[in-house]
Amino acid sequence: MSGHERHDERALPGGEEEPMTAAPLAAADRWLMRACLYVPLAALLLFFALPMGFIAWRSLMQDDGGIGFANYLALLDTPGVWQATRNSLGLGVATTAITLLLAFVLAYGMERTCMRGRRFVAAALTLPLLAPSLVLGLGLIFILGRNGIVGQLLGIRPDIYGFHGLLIADVLYALPQAVLILRAALRCADARQYEAAEVLGATPWRQFRDITLPGMRYGLLSAGFVVFTVTITDFGNAVVIGGDFSVLATEIYNQVSGQMRFGIGAVVGLLLLLPAALSVWIERVAAQRQAGIGAESAQPPQPRIARGRDGLYAIACLGIASAICAVVATVVIAGFIRLWPYRLDLTLKHYDITVSGGYASLWASLAVSLIAATAGTLLLFLLAFSVRRLSGWPARAATLLATLPVGVPGLVLGLAYVFAFNEPALPWGALYGSLFLLAMCNFYHYHTQGYVSMATGLRAVPAQLEEAVAVLGGGVGRLLADVHLPALRITLWAVAAFLFMRSMVTLSAVIFLVTPELSLSAVTVMRLDEAGFTSQAAAFSTCIMAVVGAVALLLHRLTSRCRVP
Amino acid sequence: MRSHRPARSRSIRLALGLLAGLAALPAAAGTLVAYTALEEDEIKAYVAAAKKDLPDIDIKVLRLSTGDLGARILAEAGNPRHDVIWGWALTNLLDPRIVDLLEPYAARGSEALAAKDKAADGKWFAATGYMAAFCVNTEILAAKKLPLPTSWQDLAKPIYKGEIAMPNPVSSGTGYLQIAALLQGMGADAGWKYLKALDGNVAQYIKSGSRPCKAARSGEFAIGISLAFAAMQSIEEGYPLKMVIPSDGAGYELEASGLMKSSKNKADAKRFLDWTLSPQAAGLYTRYKEIVTIPGTPRSKAATAAGLPADLSGVLFPMDFARSARERDATLATWQKQIGR
Repeated sequence: MSGHERHDERALPGGEEEPMTAAPLAAADRWLMRACLYVPLAALLLFFALPMGFIAWRSLMQDDGGIGFANYLALLDTPGVWQATRNSLGLGVATTAITLLLAFVLAYGMERTCMRGRRFVAAALTLPLLAPSLVLGLGLIFILGRNGIVGQLLGIRPDIYGFHGLLIADVLYALPQAVLILRAALRCADARQYEAAEVLGATPWRQFRDITLPGMRYGLLSAGFVVFTVTITDFGNAVVIGGDFSVLATEIYNQVSGQMRFGIGAVVGLLLLLPAALSVWIERVAAQRQAGIGAESAQPPQPRIARGRDGLYAIACLGIASAICAVVATVVIAGFIRLWPYRLDLTLKHYDITVSGGYASLWASLAVSLIAATAGTLLLFLLAFSVRRLSGWPARAATLLATLPVGVPGLVLGLAYVFAFNEPALPWGALYGSLFLLAMCNFYHYHTQGYVSMATGLRAVPAQLEEAVAVLGGGVGRLLADVHLPALRITLWAVAAFLFMRSMVTLSAVIFLVTPELSLSAVTVMRLDEAGFTSQAAAFSTCIMAVVGAVALLLHRLTSRCRVP
Repeated sequence: MRSHRPARSRSIRLALGLLAGLAALPAAAGTLVAYTALEEDEIKAYVAAAKKDLPDIDIKVLRLSTGDLGARILAEAGNPRHDVIWGWALTNLLDPRIVDLLEPYAARGSEALAAKDKAADGKWFAATGYMAAFCVNTEILAAKKLPLPTSWQDLAKPIYKGEIAMPNPVSSGTGYLQIAALLQGMGADAGWKYLKALDGNVAQYIKSGSRPCKAARSGEFAIGISLAFAAMQSIEEGYPLKMVIPSDGAGYELEASGLMKSSKNKADAKRFLDWTLSPQAAGLYTRYKEIVTIPGTPRSKAATAAGLPADLSGVLFPMDFARSARERDATLATWQKQIGR
């Protein structure tokens, strides 16, 4: 079944519907197309489904040595778990609502207006991605904590710990991921629809309501689901700024690291997959409703100057961007201060880091992140491309698997990798303790965000263009090279950068995979912080951000040089 | 232009070499892997000294916090990657699943240890320990015109309401050791009554053992119930902090070491364990540790700095670690039901 092309119905811009007629693929091409699906699918099975299978097995292993559902039943009696569930859901909904609103303003401002400072906004938005999770929490405490800058200035002791602090931190953390998806969605519109609307005399509001919003429905849904899921699975912010506000991710930590009990931790980890699984179903419904917007000569809308609107968006976007910068900058500055917040003279001494392995881990992280970004982007591209062209159960299974990883808390993923790969008898056991396995772990941790961005971006590729290439005798190779790669160039770079940045700083999974010889920079930051060297942790975080920034700039230079003038 | 071929084959060979290097090799003879929860600067000093005394052993150390290390050891239990557990909270080590991974070995020097500092069956011994302490921010205390608390009973006074941060016993070993000490010291009834009174003053139960001290030193709270180590480190960094060892008794934890059954290099593992009880090691412990169990060790500089009396038995709760480990689940369940937030 897998070789059949999908015959979905796609609406033409004019509104009339016409079934897409697919030209038959040559035999060799059919094999190539299948390879495009099966390679990423096999990787998903090995690096995601297999480890999670071990977690499912663990969730059935009872304390008495038997197999059964005792852990699931024990969960019902675990004190505090209902409170944590309610807290997580409430926090997830609030974070999603606020993040989507802000992310929409940011994405729209950057894609559809001529506002000033778009580069600054884009750069500021990468900060929460490339900063170790400690940085956001620490920055917020430095600014809004009981002894923070704001409190000092106003002479009060504000209480940021708990729901509100966690809400701010999670919005900051989720915002760039939502913007990544929404920008990809906004890029796939057709300027001619707007021109037609203009001719018909539609007001800008009407155009927004009838063209922009419907075209973004898929992107908004995906972004909402990603934000909700990363919020309920995030541990880093919850532990630093969450105070007594318990959430499911901290509940797992209490079980696994606090009390060395894997059973209930595994159960909660599996239950957190539910929102992600649900979203796959919602996405399918949404995708059926979404009119195909790509047309053969679709032209991306070129924003026109509109002073009032541009000014408003500039104020809003620059405001958000400045707030993000302020949080991160506070931590960067604290790394240069002798003793924050008591002795404020500047010093470089915190950069002299000799404990916790020193700077060596920075280079290991760089290698891991480069592998995660290149291998990850390639696999994601092949996957998104092939499930668009192929139907049948392998494609459906791949879509489901691709969407689930976001629901797995890092701690559970790390445990899953130990269970699955610390098995010398099995062929993949040799990977344990390797740089490559760490790279795969980091990539699959953020697989969903990359996949959703890629799939959203692919919707911009007009089906008619694909048909035209097929009719002219172009095979899969031509299709990729002439249609998809050019259309997706920006999204590909955005996804690669995203994977690279997250891989540099993600922590909770890799705690289980680092070895005495191979440590990562995020672990060094954690160790410095645990040992009480807060300023050194800030300094090391600054170094990580500087390295990521330098690599991003380098890539930017390289890509802009090969850009067709 | 010269041919690119040699360069390419060289780079292929390099890539293959890298790939081979990427796969972790199990600890070979001469290599020793220790999993530890000791503190960063201690590890650095101990390993440097051990490498000097045992030059033929390549000592590799993985350091994680007490809780993370436990999860890691248990997760890897099917195929352990380390040869020894070195300096890890005894309460965690006494979990039967961990004890099962250990092999009895009477390290040289362990015969001199007191019975409470080693296992009857030789599966573990503890050379060092750490104790609970209050981290008190003197600036906040002065600004709020509060007296310096000197005991657990003081902390329950209403004047400190909202100014105390304490580790959450459900997520932190330090937090558990503190409530276990209070419950063992006062007895269950008085202990729970006290914990409830204390709860009225606690602003936040923080999820790690050292973080309450960090919150206190940065002025977020006036008092952080934490560890003596964290307090001394903060004072050394220059924070306006005073360490208080509660006069009505401080909980403490022993840092235990043991040999893994699965070790493929037991000869070197044993030599390393012997070294951790050697006079050279004991000399180093006095620089960092308030509690050193090795008899005949001179009074530690850390203990002097902490203002501890020569006889520690007066300030330490007489902890029963086997009981702490055994009652852990029940105690934490009660804590969560009666106090947990």
